[in-house]
Amino acid sequence: MDTMKDFKNAFSYGERNNLNFKFLAHLSEKEAADFIETSFQLMEDGLNGRFPGRLIEHIIQGQKKVYSVPGKFTYETGIFHALGKKVSEATIGLCTSSGHFVKGDDPKPLGVEGMTQTEAVYRIQEFLRETPQLSAIPKSVEMKNLQVRHGGYDISGTEIDGNITFPIEPLACLEKEKHIGKLADKLYSFVGACAQGPLKKVVKDDWIDLIKAQGIEGMILVPV
Amino acid sequence: MSVGHLARILEEEGIATVVIATEVFEKRLTSMTLPRILLTPYPMGRPLGFPKQGTEHKQIIVEALNLLEASKDFSTHYWKKERPYEV
Repeated sequence: MDTMKDFKNAFSYGERNNLNFKFLAHLSEKEAADFIETSFQLMEDGLNGRFPGRLIEHIIQGQKKVYSVPGKFTYETGIFHALGKKVSEATIGLCTSSGHFVKGDDPKPLGVEGMTQTEAVYRIQEFLRETPQLSAIPKSVEMKNLQVRHGGYDISGTEIDGNITFPIEPLACLEKEKHIGKLADKLYSFVGACAQGPLKKVVKDDWIDLIKAQGIEGMILVPV
Repeated sequence: MSVGHLARILEEEGIATVVIATEVFEKRLTSMTLPRILLTPYPMGRPLGFPKQGTEHKQIIVEALNLLEASKDFSTHYWKKERPYEV
């Protein structure tokens, strides 16, 4: 029999792993128990066809309880660069930390080709020590030819519709409608669960050149 | 944090950025002093909302592009003040 502590902690990379609820491990036992009790009450409303959004809201508030604090990296100042032109005249790029890549162009994380999502979840601590790899994705790619793998978040939604983390279709549509001057020929994705020091180095050493070579002037960034 | 670091480096290199993220990450992103942040009212792993809601995904992108073009200073915006689902 699990103790309450074992039970709540098991949702974060344990035997009950569920990345939507990994935050439970960071709540006190009472907070976790209260969260679960309220979830059941809201599910009861759902069973009666009432207020399904309240359960979603409850989950968001639960996630916020843990993530609504400054992270390990905080900065007092930063640089603001103005686009300096209309979006309809600019070249716009996309880079997400969702872990997308083109099928057949596996970035082979940790040296493993064809790694499953299950293995990526199991090896999350190794990912967090690794330098990330940038996957270039042609803007002409069809969503059905993209694959996603990321051990740090629940990919079930993005497996149904990749646009919720890698919005290539709305961007292509906006380029066609001339809302965007030009969508960069290559869009990018990487696994955001990675070592931050090596990330900063590889961005400066390699990624910037790739991005600049495409003439990208404005970048949409999507963390997961 | 990864995207926050990427945004900061891109800005240093003269490329304007806008971050689209779930509001769950508000504190983590704002504490990195990023130029433009658009927060959405969705759970983690769904920064542009629920699957198969193409009209809304496009509206969110348009809002982000508006920020990219019009922002004059560091700012954080919310996609919708009211929840897009009944609560």
